[in-house]
Amino acid sequence: MKSSNVLILLCLLVLTAGCGGGGGGVSNTKSGTSATLVRITVSPTSPSIAYGMSEPFTLTGTYSDSSTKILTAAAIWNSSNPSVATFSNLTGVAASSMTGTTTIGASYGGFSQSTQLTVTPAALVSITVAPASSSIAFGTTEQFTATGTYTDNTTQNLTTSATWISSAPAVAVVSNATGSNGLVTSQATGTTGTALIMARSGLVSGSTMLTVTGGIAATANNVLSITVNGSLCSSSTSVGYVNKPCVSVKVCAPGSTTACTTVSDILLDTGSFGLRIFKTALTVPLTQVTANGGSLAECAQFGDGSSEWGPINLADVVLGNETAASVPIQVIDSTFGTVPGTCGTPDQTPEAAGFNGILGVGVFGEDCGSICTTDSNLGLYYSCNGSVCNGTTVPLADQVHNPVVSLPTDSNGVIVELPDVSLSGASSANGNLVLGIGTETNNIPPGVTTYSTDEYGEINTVFSGTTYAGIIDSGSNGLFFTSPSASMIPNCSSSSEWFCPSTTTTLSAVNNSASGSTSGQVLFSLGNFVTLANAGNNVFSDIGAEQPSLFDWGLPFYFGRFVYVGIEGQGSSLGIGPYFAY
Amino acid sequence: MKNGICSRFLCLFFLATVLVTAKPALAVLGESVDSISSDRRALVATRGSVTVHDGYQVQEIGSDAITIREYISPSGVVFAIAWNGIAVPDLTSLLGSYANDYQTALKQAPRKPGRRFRQIKTDRVVVERWGHMRNLQGRAYSPALVPQGVSIDEIK
Repeated sequence: MKSSNVLILLCLLVLTAGCGGGGGGVSNTKSGTSATLVRITVSPTSPSIAYGMSEPFTLTGTYSDSSTKILTAAAIWNSSNPSVATFSNLTGVAASSMTGTTTIGASYGGFSQSTQLTVTPAALVSITVAPASSSIAFGTTEQFTATGTYTDNTTQNLTTSATWISSAPAVAVVSNATGSNGLVTSQATGTTGTALIMARSGLVSGSTMLTVTGGIAATANNVLSITVNGSLCSSSTSVGYVNKPCVSVKVCAPGSTTACTTVSDILLDTGSFGLRIFKTALTVPLTQVTANGGSLAECAQFGDGSSEWGPINLADVVLGNETAASVPIQVIDSTFGTVPGTCGTPDQTPEAAGFNGILGVGVFGEDCGSICTTDSNLGLYYSCNGSVCNGTTVPLADQVHNPVVSLPTDSNGVIVELPDVSLSGASSANGNLVLGIGTETNNIPPGVTTYSTDEYGEINTVFSGTTYAGIIDSGSNGLFFTSPSASMIPNCSSSSEWFCPSTTTTLSAVNNSASGSTSGQVLFSLGNFVTLANAGNNVFSDIGAEQPSLFDWGLPFYFGRFVYVGIEGQGSSLGIGPYFAY
Repeated sequence: MKNGICSRFLCLFFLATVLVTAKPALAVLGESVDSISSDRRALVATRGSVTVHDGYQVQEIGSDAITIREYISPSGVVFAIAWNGIAVPDLTSLLGSYANDYQTALKQAPRKPGRRFRQIKTDRVVVERWGHMRNLQGRAYSPALVPQGVSIDEIK
């Protein structure tokens, strides 16, 4: 131990001793079994659920030594009005039977506590638009229908009451006129292409992809196709990889329109910032960025501890038909220089990573931001001379850029448009990534709510009585959150982190902007992962897994929605980024 | 050294000087809180605080880039560490005697593509990492050291 540290400790001792125990000391000892129960607490307090849903309750005991213990399974529970909700002592879950109120009571060790449970009328969970994935000739019409599914598993035809929206009015328009609601007309003078046809009711929406054939062969410049486990994903990198959204990106030598290579199997990721592509997939000469007299390299790190290592190069990045000129991208190359020890084991091959590259189009313009302009020691950016790499500061301009901010127009954000996926899943799904928000005829927001994020790119999400940081991340392949009840939402097995409820279960959460100025409820379904995966599908709207502290609205959240991703400092009719809107 | 070596005022001055000028002192998982070792990474602390909870204390040390929270049992042992920030602290330093267990188990754990969470579990230590670019998060704890009645959910 360093002598200065001894001195610090000694001083701390002197200070605390001299202050008469003024707090902060380790005096809160636990006496274990000898402590007596002081009170019991039922949570959540006064919850409200829609008819058809269930609510897990927890009983917490507080002891004389301030320690707490979960007593849910040991307590005696009852529901005062079983015709409204029945309570299972076995699972700790109240299941609704009709609308109304009931008192949920718990008794343990001579203590009793209760709270009121309110069951509201069945609520709309999802909308299915039919016919799914249809194709029509230009100048023709097709009638679409919208079917709502409610928390009590009933369905209702919403064709005449829903608001209909076409993502691309130049390709096809959809009628909201009485008598012709949901009637789609492809534009006789329009362009060949795709439009997502959406039906919306309140905060719930559903959509499907329509392809118009035979028109003028010119697709919009600001649209990239997304295939979820489809043709733009490489089979060699997708083994065991469900809910994988892939796009294709063209990369050119700076200033060149001919020295270009088109790379598919690029993961669409709204949870990161910047384009990273494996060196093996790049066949054109790019320009190395320098820093502190060496070659700039980066250890890009992801949430699960995985990392990508390699140099930063300038490239012209073509998204759709729009070019982001001279953008810093990362060339993933684990043989470049020497991988720093703190970078762990960066991915060596596309097969190890699960993609050829990753396109980060989240809410920030650079992957690090201002902290990397002053701190050289974060373990992110390095200056390499030969095999020697040392930490370096990097000006914002040289950091890996979200290429969207470098587009000549359409630079204020993106829209991720993916169709409905049924509760049983699909083998693949096709949608669009649209560049820009409110800058073209095909990216005007139709009545969505904006949720601004904080400096981390996080909103907040209230779920089962707890407030979590929330992200809306297309690169996460499930809904990742803390299970509210191991009996209601259990893991599939001790070795699997996926959830396996015995039946498909509807859950409710509320998203709030980070500042708290807007909020909206989200009802979502969670199915049994093992049952779903065994049916052979790859794309699911209702899979999730356990994760602490962060509510991660992964790809399932995107199905049936248009999700707007607004970049920091950039304005649109939805506000100034960073924000998500849907 | 003698106990009377510094008066309370001198101590306050000394502590203030140390906190302002030095790297934060970080304890190591599984060791007593007075086994302070400086973190290898130059984490220039701009804030530090201690909060008292039922059955444990949390010592938080933060910079503009990374925040580290150390969970200290009543007997003064660091039973868990949690972190978040734009980068990841040097886990080899923080995990101390558990670092080898973690590294060995990490090499054998299968990757789960699309998952933004990874749990590495051994008999002695559990290390979990999650989050996203610009806010990478994680926690490490030794199940045997977690005080009775403290829920793992509180470590975050």
